[in-house]
Amino acid sequence: MDTHLMLGNEAVARGAWEAGVQVAAAYPGTPSTEIVTNLARYDGVYAEWSTNEKVAYEVAFGAAMGGVRALTAMKSAGGSVAADPLISSVYTGVNGGLVVCLAGDPGMASGMTEQDDRYFGRISSMPMLEPADSQECYEYAKRAFAMSEEFDVPVMVRLSIQTAHQKSIVRFDGEIAGEGDGPAGLTRPAPERRPPDRKTEKYCLLPKFSRPLHRSLLERVERLRVFAEASAASGDLAQVVPAAGPVPLQGGGTARIGVVSAGAAYLSAREALPGAAFLKLGMIHPLPLDAIRAFAQTVDRLFVVEELEPYLEEQILAAGILCEGKQWFPQWGELTAVRVGRGFSAAGLDLPRWAEEKAAEDGSVIPRPPVLCTGCPHRGMATAMKKLNLDVHGDIGCYDLTTLPPVSHMHSAVEMGASIPMEQGFMRAGGSETGSLAVIGDSTFLHSGLTGLLNAVHQRTDLTLLIQDNSITAMTGGQTNPGNERTLAGVETKPVDIAGICKALGVEQIEIVDPYDYEACLAALKAGLAYEGPAVIITNRPCMLFPRKIGGEEAFTVDEDVCNACQQCMKLGCPSLSHTEAEHKGRHKVKIDEETCTGCSLCEQLCKPGAISKAKAGVA
Amino acid sequence: MSTDHYHGGVVDDIMVVGVGGQGVIVAAAVIADTAMLHGGLDVKLSETRGMSQRGGSVNSHIRIGETVVAPSISPGEVDYLLAFESAEGLRTAPSLVPGGVAIINTQQIVPPLASQGDMSYPFDAAERMALGDRRVTVVDGNGIALEVGELKVAGIVLVGALSTHLPFDVETWQAAIVRNVPPKWKDLNFAAFAAGREVGA
Repeated sequence: MDTHLMLGNEAVARGAWEAGVQVAAAYPGTPSTEIVTNLARYDGVYAEWSTNEKVAYEVAFGAAMGGVRALTAMKSAGGSVAADPLISSVYTGVNGGLVVCLAGDPGMASGMTEQDDRYFGRISSMPMLEPADSQECYEYAKRAFAMSEEFDVPVMVRLSIQTAHQKSIVRFDGEIAGEGDGPAGLTRPAPERRPPDRKTEKYCLLPKFSRPLHRSLLERVERLRVFAEASAASGDLAQVVPAAGPVPLQGGGTARIGVVSAGAAYLSAREALPGAAFLKLGMIHPLPLDAIRAFAQTVDRLFVVEELEPYLEEQILAAGILCEGKQWFPQWGELTAVRVGRGFSAAGLDLPRWAEEKAAEDGSVIPRPPVLCTGCPHRGMATAMKKLNLDVHGDIGCYDLTTLPPVSHMHSAVEMGASIPMEQGFMRAGGSETGSLAVIGDSTFLHSGLTGLLNAVHQRTDLTLLIQDNSITAMTGGQTNPGNERTLAGVETKPVDIAGICKALGVEQIEIVDPYDYEACLAALKAGLAYEGPAVIITNRPCMLFPRKIGGEEAFTVDEDVCNACQQCMKLGCPSLSHTEAEHKGRHKVKIDEETCTGCSLCEQLCKPGAISKAKAGVA
Repeated sequence: MSTDHYHGGVVDDIMVVGVGGQGVIVAAAVIADTAMLHGGLDVKLSETRGMSQRGGSVNSHIRIGETVVAPSISPGEVDYLLAFESAEGLRTAPSLVPGGVAIINTQQIVPPLASQGDMSYPFDAAERMALGDRRVTVVDGNGIALEVGELKVAGIVLVGALSTHLPFDVETWQAAIVRNVPPKWKDLNFAAFAAGREVGA
């Protein structure tokens, strides 16, 4: 079997492994997570879930300085967290190859913004490759390591959710190709370690050293520009796809149409306009502008198709090459084939496939957003915060799902670690009449919550913090963090004591509470808010999904004769609760799906008439 | 069946929809792996976006042809719609080409939002799907799975029902199933596939 159907992220991992990567470090983040998840399964790779993206970047950077090939991977927001070492490491350069995988999320399937990560290439002068499918993910990962060592610079492999999360066919090359897609049973030649660098003038960014390093960085950009042109001229990291023929125009006539594109947008553009000529870029920083100019001369109209910002378009225009782009194609969201096709139609091309606007979905069908799982330990506190009508300043995690109805209790959720300092600022502004607090999960607290709490304590802020400790990085699929007993590599380790950290940071009021006990949740919140000075509340139930489902608790059931349809339990937003046909005073009574009920008992606690009881005991 | 139609440039666009946790991703992987294992064809699968394990709507796009360019299916171009949940089928029904095939599981999962009063759940989804010239097959995937012996294989029952429309032989489907289910579940899944194939035929 010479073909393999692989996720883009899996293919990056495979290519990196074949290239000899020995250290991989990342913080999980959709859509980049699977790169390191997969690398951890390969022989001879040290892989870790680091505490945050900056730490991960620095671990990989240090490994490269130490003489081995290393990789880090992150989502867009993680790129911003890691921006400091990302920019500095281009000054210093590397020793062993360093590859930085940065995966964007146009369309914001799970991101908080849809920032265009390609500008990281320009702001840092880091060379950037952008694959379009899994085959290129595999190939470019290998190329990136070779380039990194050849040019003594970290190399970015820029992905988008479309490339990272598509499965397409990969053909392996080289001698390692074996049966199966995965790492099982595969071996590779032992990678050689370069002598570790001990070079003050290269790695100490004092002005004395960094000034000359900036000048050599600019010289390196020029060498990379020459490389980009040579590589484009040979059809290596840029390919020209000739036109099938001229493209018909609306109102008659034809034109020779050329399209410059890269990555996921290239596939959308080719799907939209298969007959046009294409210049498909694989290296997107620095750009092969001579190749683009030569291509432009072969067509009547040159279009630039790219997701989000006019990153390519502005550089192409600045080089004096006339092109059309963002006046036709949207600057937001995923650039699917239909959106590109409609852009071409607006530009006057005659494209019957895209002429008629077609719906993808019936908007009248009841929406089904993701919800907190049955038995989720976040539910009790969310309901209690709503009950107390608090201003809730949240963070990044599953608890954001209660921002929406029926719980609707959260009032800010911006970026990793924001909850605590934003709550501090909110309190400095005078707080709210009903009370306010910061809410963060264990993984996010360990990622970037500590410094915010330290600051709040040091500034003697009267602040309440709720740490929803479910002992896992849940939202991205259950990755380990320092609160766990094992690392990604399976090594036994000491779980960090979150209460102990808070104490060490100077918090004197700390309460640990069972989030399945609703009254205890209410009492803990009231006590925390009443306390003068920083107060921390920590919940102590593990995630329902990871690392394993809690079991053994009996399911609950509703006695329909007793249920008075008061709807208190429905405020929990539990997926196992639903309405029955039976009504009381015009409101539906409630039933519990015993198959999925985990027995967390919150609904029983909220049920005033006492209609809810354990299913087995309840049978009269 | 033959795969000749792909040589004329035809791309089969298959969409699998359902609710997070139902097994949509495994089913999509089985379909895509079957096409890949058949050999000589291009296959792309675009995985569901967002939080797939939290009970939200999920969908997977599979495109099979001699050459497949974009990984996701354009609106109105779905040839085969496989719905694990009937309201999700109704939601994505406008994506079908005229005369497109829809295989709808009878399972109905009422989202918590339906209890908030503003919007109601479409219990008549399967009937509404059958409007126009769509070729709709309603399958009691869960019931058949229970007869086979295990509710969890309902997804493979549905894949079996779809399989009668696609030009791949049973051995290739089975090889793809083996790649995507735990070894001890192999026989149950083969039985589920065969049962689904019967109702799909």
